[in-house]
Formats: sequence, C-alpha cells, structure tokens
Amino acid sequence: MPKLEDKMIEIKESKKISKRIHTLREKVLRAKPSVCTERAKFYTSVYKEHEDKPVIIRRAFALQKTLKEMTIFIDDGELIVGNHSSQLRAAPIFPEYAVDWLPEEMDDLDKRPGDAFFITEQHKQELLEIADWWKGKVLYDKGRALMTQELRDIHDTAIIKATGNLTSGDAHIAVDFIKILETGLSGYLEEIKSYAGEVKGYNQEGIRKAQFYDALTIGIQSMSAFIKRYADQAKYLAKQEQDPGRTRELETIADNCTHISEKPPVNFHQALQLTFFIQLVLQIESNGHSVSLGRMDQYLYPFYKQDILTGNITDDQAVELFENTWIKLLSINKIRPWAHTRFSAGGPLYQNVTIGGQTTEGMDAVNDLSYLILDSVGNMKLTQPNLSVRFHKNISDAFLMRCLKVITKGFGMPAFNNDEIVIPELIKLGVEKEDAYNYSAIGCIEIAVPGKWGYRCTGMSFLNLMRVFLAALYDGLDTRSGKTFHKGIGHFNNFNSYEDLFKAWKHQIKYYTRKTVEIDTAVDTALEENVPDILCSAFVDSCIERGKTIKEGGSKYDFISGLQVGIANLGNSLAAIKKLVFEEEKLSKEDLLEAIENDFTGEKAERIQQMLLNFAPKYGNDNDYVDQLLVDAYMEFINELRHYHTTRHGKGPIGCQYYAGTSSISANVPSGSVVPATPDGRKAFTPVAEGSSPTSGTDTKGPTAVFKSVSKLPTDRIMGGVLLNQKLSPASIRNDSDKKKLISIIRTFFADLKGWHIQYNIVSRETLLAAQEDPEKYRDLIVRVAGYSAFFTTLSPDTQNDIIARTEHFL
Amino acid sequence: MIFNIQRYSIHDGEGIRTIVFFKGCPLRCKWCSNPESQTYGLSLMYDHRICKNFGDCIQKGKPAIKFTNEGLSIDRANIKNKEEFRDICLSKALTVIGEDLSAVELLKEIEKDKLFYQQSGGGVTLSGGEPLSQNGSVTYFLDELKKNKIHTSVETTLHVTWNQIKRCLGRIDCFLVDLKHTEKSKFRDYTEGDLELVMTNLKKLNELREHIIIRIPVIPGFNHTLEEMKGIINLSASLQSVDEIHFIPYHTLGSEKYKMLGMDYPYSNHKAISDTELTPYLEFAKLKGLNAKIGG
Ligand code: SF4
Repeated sequence: MPKLEDKMIEIKESKKISKRIHTLREKVLRAKPSVCTERAKFYTSVYKEHEDKPVIIRRAFALQKTLKEMTIFIDDGELIVGNHSSQLRAAPIFPEYAVDWLPEEMDDLDKRPGDAFFITEQHKQELLEIADWWKGKVLYDKGRALMTQELRDIHDTAIIKATGNLTSGDAHIAVDFIKILETGLSGYLEEIKSYAGEVKGYNQEGIRKAQFYDALTIGIQSMSAFIKRYADQAKYLAKQEQDPGRTRELETIADNCTHISEKPPVNFHQALQLTFFIQLVLQIESNGHSVSLGRMDQYLYPFYKQDILTGNITDDQAVELFENTWIKLLSINKIRPWAHTRFSAGGPLYQNVTIGGQTTEGMDAVNDLSYLILDSVGNMKLTQPNLSVRFHKNISDAFLMRCLKVITKGFGMPAFNNDEIVIPELIKLGVEKEDAYNYSAIGCIEIAVPGKWGYRCTGMSFLNLMRVFLAALYDGLDTRSGKTFHKGIGHFNNFNSYEDLFKAWKHQIKYYTRKTVEIDTAVDTALEENVPDILCSAFVDSCIERGKTIKEGGSKYDFISGLQVGIANLGNSLAAIKKLVFEEEKLSKEDLLEAIENDFTGEKAERIQQMLLNFAPKYGNDNDYVDQLLVDAYMEFINELRHYHTTRHGKGPIGCQYYAGTSSISANVPSGSVVPATPDGRKAFTPVAEGSSPTSGTDTKGPTAVFKSVSKLPTDRIMGGVLLNQKLSPASIRNDSDKKKLISIIRTFFADLKGWHIQYNIVSRETLLAAQEDPEKYRDLIVRVAGYSAFFTTLSPDTQNDIIARTEHFL
Repeated sequence: MIFNIQRYSIHDGEGIRTIVFFKGCPLRCKWCSNPESQTYGLSLMYDHRICKNFGDCIQKGKPAIKFTNEGLSIDRANIKNKEEFRDICLSKALTVIGEDLSAVELLKEIEKDKLFYQQSGGGVTLSGGEPLSQNGSVTYFLDELKKNKIHTSVETTLHVTWNQIKRCLGRIDCFLVDLKHTEKSKFRDYTEGDLELVMTNLKKLNELREHIIIRIPVIPGFNHTLEEMKGIINLSASLQSVDEIHFIPYHTLGSEKYKMLGMDYPYSNHKAISDTELTPYLEFAKLKGLNAKIGG
C-alpha cells in the first residue's frame, strides 16, 4: 500500500469543472424554490380511499402511487438522475404531518424574510382543499393531543420547543448503504419474504408483522418500478437525441437504471446512482431532514477500485459523477412552517456525507475516494452535501492540509468530528466495537452508526436554558408568560448565597428536564402511530428481522438527545451573579433584577449592564471560574436525564437512553427572541449563544482559549454533539505556514483535549456586509450557520446580523 | 511591567506562541505602532467610541479629567496615581495600561497553552517595548520558563547594556533582533537611539553563536529603498549566527492608539506597505543565502 504522503501526490487536485457540471450547477442555483402539490394530492387520495386500512398499509399505497405517478424528468447533460418533485427545487407538501400552517402562511410564503417559496394561485386552491380534509387527522394535532395541558402550555410559551418534530417528523438517520449495495433491492425482497413466511398469524403481534412485511414489499417493489421509469425515460430521450455522445450517455443511464432497479450495482456509476435513488425515495417518503449518506468514501470504494483497475473509469470521471450527485442533492427541497424555519435558517436538508476516520481495525481509512469527494465538494461550493471529516490522531497532515484548502474556499466545509472521543464513548455506551468504528456524522454534527441507529440521534426538543434560569430567580415564575409551572424554593432577593441560587437552578432544571422527556414521549408516540416510515425501516438493521418499524423498536441501537440552547449565557450569568453579587457585593440583588426588568435602559440599569459585561469572567476565555460554574449547572441537567428512557425501551434496541446535545443549529436566534434580559448583560430578545460556542464578542483570548473552555464541558456525556463554530478572516490563513499552525491546534483540540467538533467560517466581515447590501450579487455566498452551511442571502436579517457579530479571530 | 499577554500568536516565531508584551522602551521610533509600550510606568488609555458618559472618572480625576465638547479631556501630566483609575470605568472606555505580574502569575497564564506549544513546536515570545530593559525579574521569569521546558524567544532592539543581555543568556532559545538601519545618523533621527550600542551587542551575540533571527521593520521614508535594505541584508548575511530574516511591513493599525493615549503620531501621514512592495527585498535576501519571510 502506498504511504499516505505518496497518495496525496497521486491524487492530484481536481479543479476543473466540466461544462456540463457548470451548466447544471448554474441551473440549480438559479431555480427559485416553489411548491409542488403532486405528493400531497396522491397521499390524500390514497388516505381517503383506504381509510379502513392500517396506517402502515395506507402509507405503502400512498408511496406506491406517488412513485408511480409523480412527474419525472431527466435534465440535459445529467449523468445521475432522479427528481424529488415536479420541478427543480420545488418542495413537495407532506399533508399528513401538519396542515394548519398552510392556509395561515400560504399568502406570505414568497414574502418570508428568509427561505421564501413561490406558489401559484392554483396550487393554493388545491392545498386549501387538501388541508381541509386533513384537519384534525395530522401528526401535529395528534401529538399535541397526547400532551397534557401543562405540557402544551410549556410548549406554547417556548420554554421547550418541539414544533419541528411535529410538523416535519423524524429522519436524522443514515441507512445501511453497505448492505443495499451488496444485495440490491431484490435481496431485500427475498429477505422480507423469508421473514414473512415465518409469521404466525394467530396473535396480535403476528397480524402486525404481516402488515409490516406487506408494506415493505409494496415499498420496495414501488421503488424498483420508480427506477425503471427512469430507464424508460432515458431510452425515450436517447431515441430523440441528435448528439451521438449524449445518446450513449442516455443509453448508459437506461442500462444502469434497468440493472439497479432490482440487482446490486456492478460498477461505480451504478453504485452512486443507486445510492442517490435511495436518498431520494427516503426524502419523498418522510418530511424529516438530516437524511444522511454515511461513510461514502468507504462503501463506494470497492466499486471505484475495481473500475480503476479495469480502466472503466478515471478520477476525473468519478469527480464529475460526484459533482453531479451533489447538485442533485441540492435539488431536493422541503418547506417548513415559519415557526420551524426560524430554528433552522437557510432551508438546509443537512444531507451529510462523512469521509475519513478509521477502519474497524483502527487504521487510517482515508482513501483515494476521500480525496475525490473532498475535491468535488470543494469544486461545487454548494450547501449540500454537508461534508464531515472524521479526525483521528493518525490522520495525515497531507489530508488535513487538503481539507483546509477546501475550508479556505470559505463555504464552511468540511467540518470535523473526532474519533478520539466518539469511538471510546460509544463503546462505553454498549455499542459493539465494529459498529463504533463505523460511525458517521448525521445532519450537522451529531453521530450515529449508519443503518443500525434509530431516528434523531439528536434534535428532539429544544430546551431554552435561560428561561429556566430566569424561573430559578423568580421562585418558579416564568416572567414571559406570567405562569408558574413549577413553584420554586424562594425568590432571588431572599437568597443568601450562591449556593441558594444553585439550589434553585437545580430545582427548576430537574423539573424541565423531565418535561422535555414527557414532550418527546408524546411526540414519539404520535410519530410511531401516524407516520411510520416503510422504506427507511427496511434499510435499517434489525427492523426486518424483528418485523417492526424503527419507531416501534426495530433498530439495533437507540440513543437520542434533545438540544439545550443558551449554554454560554448560562455560565456567564452564574459567574456574574456569584462574583458581583455574592463575592464582591458590588451589586445588590434588587438592583440586578430591576436592571434586567428594565432591559438595561436608564442610566442606573445601563451601568449595571456594563458591570455585568466587563467585570465578570466570560466562558470561552479559558477561565476556570466561569467554565466550572457552567459545567456544574449543566451537569444537573445531564444527571437528571439519566433517569429516563425512550419509547423503545424494552422493545429490542440497545440503549434507549438520552444524552445531552448542543448542536442547536440556528435556534439561538429564535430561542433568544423569547428570552428577557439576562444577568450576563444580554439585552432582552437578542440571540443567545450558539451551540457550545462562546457568546459573540466575549471570547477575547483567541482560539486556543476557546478550545480549552469548550473542552472543559463534559463532552463524554454530550454525545448529541458539542458544536463549536469559529470564524476566521481570510487574511489569517494566507500561506502554508498559517495552515500548518491551524492544523496543529486542531490536532491539540482533538487528540489532547478531546474536543467533539469544529468548523470554520472563513469569510471576511466586509464580504458579509456587502452581501447584505447587494444580495443579488452574492447569491452563491455560503456561510456556516451552525452545524451546516446555508446561502447567506436566504437568511433572515436577524440571523445574518448574528453571523456578522460572531467574533472573528485573527490568527 | 506587562501590558498585554497574547495567546495563539502564529506570526512571531516557531509554532504557536504566547507573547508577553513588556512595557517600556529605550527607543522612540517615530513610526512605532505600539505607543502604549514606550513608557515604563502606567498609561491611561481612553476610547471615546465606547464611552457612555457615566462620569465616574471625572469624580475621581477632577480637575485633570473633564468633559469638553470633544469628549473627555485628560491632563495626564497632572494625574499622580494612575493606578486609582484601574476599575473606575464600567464600560472600560478608560483603562489603565500596565500591570505588575509576578513570574508565578505569568507562568500560570502561559502554561494554559502548553499542549498547543508541544504539538506545534511553539512556546513563549517576550516582546515589548524592550523586554531586556526590564529589571532583573525577567531573568527569573526566563529561568522559570526553562525549568518548565518552554521554548523562549525574545524580540529585542538590543538597545540595552551588555549586562542586561548577559544575565539572560542561556535562557533564551532564540533572539528576534530588530535591525532597523545601518546608518548611525538616520537611526538617531528616527529613534532617539544609538546604533553603535545595537551593533556592538549584535556582534557579541553573533560571536557567542546565539540563535538569531533578524527582523526588519520596513518603514516608508526611513528604510524603504532597495539601497538601504541591501545594507541591512548584507550586514545580516555577514553574521554567522543568522540564517533567517523577516520583513515586517509598516502598517497603520497603531494610529488610533496614539489618539487614545493623548499622544501625537509623527507618522500619521504614511500609508501601509503592501506585501508585494517587499518582493525585491525578499529576492535580494534569498540571493544572499538567507531564509527570508514576510512577517514571522
Ligand atoms: S523599538 Fe519598537 S516599541 Fe520601541 S519605540 Fe521603536 S517601535 Fe516602538
């Protein structure tokens, strides 16, 4: 085997973009997002027609009808085919999840401050009729109905948010691509048949299983038929085509589709095409996001290697196929109610591709395909896929250097996850070694074992930590809603010491932790009963064997996390109060509360705000005082969480536990918008801090200090992800020496400090300001928002300003 | 006395470094971009842009501090105890520059990035001002760093007595020597210093085979001509202990600080030098067998 260093020279950088790819890229970038009603119509008619059938069968028929009748097309020049809806970047509607928002928001879809969608009058009419039929029957209503009044109130005052899960469903999953490419769709049919043959129909379980297997069979067969439609279409187009070169391409597409509609792929092109079809149908079946592609450089490698050895393909061709696939991923689009869109700005689908990492034997897994994927993603500079690199301590500098080359293009990719923390911690949780070494990133920064893990390794409810903190100050009163959900142990004005404050925090956070689980349980129950996924279950181990959907307990592993928002603000608030009120007595309790209530306006309150901002230590500066207070407070949440299980507990999967998570995407902006002023000096309703990153502008000691602070968090218990976003100015990584130094601190952060994740935004402030002024010119400007990248100009002004405000580190 | 500790510096020597800036400098270079580093005692810095007009400083400092139409006016000469103002301003618009930290306190701060030094081959750089012109505590501090196996660099003008250098020998892994000019009179006109002193010290260091890197501030109107640069480069190349040379282009980032310190900036009319203007110097230095870089 050649040494890695040699390999990098071998894999020369692929910088040229073919004309075909250039045209396809332009086309998808120019396509205006719109709304497609086809899926909604098919699903509605099937649901109406089969009202007597179990939900899983109804869903199988609905999927069947959609795959059979939806508009399909093959665009000029494309080599990878498959479309999500009737037009490029049109979002299908998933009425079975939620409909109330449709009539409410329909007229304003094209006027949204971010993520606007174009919709015709005719489509509006169609959707109104559809929405009318679905009223009261959808996931959103059923989920809310399962909540107690108390939970609904907590949810509606936004202390805990789970709207996204109720309007968009689950996903956050990667399926078993290794098996899919090995057995092909026919392999699945055989497997389903053999398990179905063993079902005993005399008990309830048997009846359910039989229905499940029927649904799976319909699902897989429909998918085969769907792929065959593309074969026919390609054949048809080939006949019309004048250009002999394109005719040959279309014939290849037809052959590929015919073959993989049933049989396992025999070459790289077919393997990639089948991978994309799987991704596509999962995106048609479910309204969720973060449907991820797993370790593409690993499972595609055998196909690539064989094609290279036989001279069937060149590296340039492989890169072109990848580029085409990335464009296809971007063509997939989904629409969210505004309430949810605010939490994940930029309309991302977080289709993650993971490269690098280690083999199950612990060897460096970086291969030629890792380089090709990296380069092709760098060439495309699109928001999809979301590219993650698995770091481990023996990863080569050569590969990291190449990663930095792509990072310096300034579109936020790739991000890094860290084997050195993830693998040992997964093993401790009970994940088998072989599986642990095969983990991949899901969505943005969270992790799971592809094809073996249930939904939502992260992304359940959002818990607004600062609202809980304020309730701790006011004896349980939520000042925003005027409600006391959980009576406290006293009012801040009567606390005698920091210990009293901490006790009050503990009292409240325990309660709200329990409430997040209760809300999740209601949501999960509704998801299980109303929108079971058929194909997604088929492709996840061990659903077929157990005869269960993923939600019923079909997956091998099941660990999930919610998201806690406002991490840095929590630490900074605790430190400010401890130091200024209790230790130095520079500030009285009454004055502090008064200043907060006045949102720091008026000279007295303003003076207090300046004191809070400038005379108390801030998280992100490697200051043990504040960092430790944060850890202690967060641990109260984490320890409480240990007492709870998911709805799958006892039904088969390993785990069924919760852990903490901070990959709160762009939720820091809307989460902040419902939080009054806080004792860290933050003004009311402004964004809270993002993920585990320090509060904007307070990390004045540079990136190493940020790394140190972040690494003090109990990362081993935050397996839902510790998101760290750093912004660098382009001037700070001009030459190779700068890049080497950046690699060196990344190594220290990961190998020594056991950090979880890091991603870089390398865009100058000037560029961002210019793009705000002149969005037309900058329509392809991408920024890292949180765990993912988004087109800057599609973001709302609030989110844009938040990104501009984040500290820019000059190296 | 320290005026700043900067972590994660990557342009001042090998690897990732923490720079400790010492306050006080024997020279007064006309272009100096760190005016707060020049005096040995405390300085008062005032940034009107973040001033909230709370007036606490006036309470404390009247009549030397007062409001005028153009913001705060500070008669620094008539403020005896600047220390009293350290925590007076809540918005930190008025700050006291300079702090006496013990070697132990300094070390604690420096050790925080030890893992990063190890991974990158970095360490600590003493800068200023002129770190070697501090009192004997610098020697003790350097000793502590060496005890903790931390790589040490010192950025120096060499405009100090030989004794001030001698007491630090053996504790400095790398000297980053500012070589500004080869002409005595020009040096005096622009820095108020004596080039002879610098040259004698440099030659001694060279004879002792200390590790020396020459850093040339490239300053418009002072040494920014090929002829003058050739002089400095030739001299550097003639020293056996020197194989590396850095060109530091003049920038204007310091000009705002002069205002904040109530000082006049003699170089306020000059423009920054771009990297491309340095190409001929780089080429000449390479021709002379030196490893030449822009920045560090
Ligand atoms: S030697 Fe440096 S610090 Fe001293 S005056 Fe000159 S430029 Fe300023």
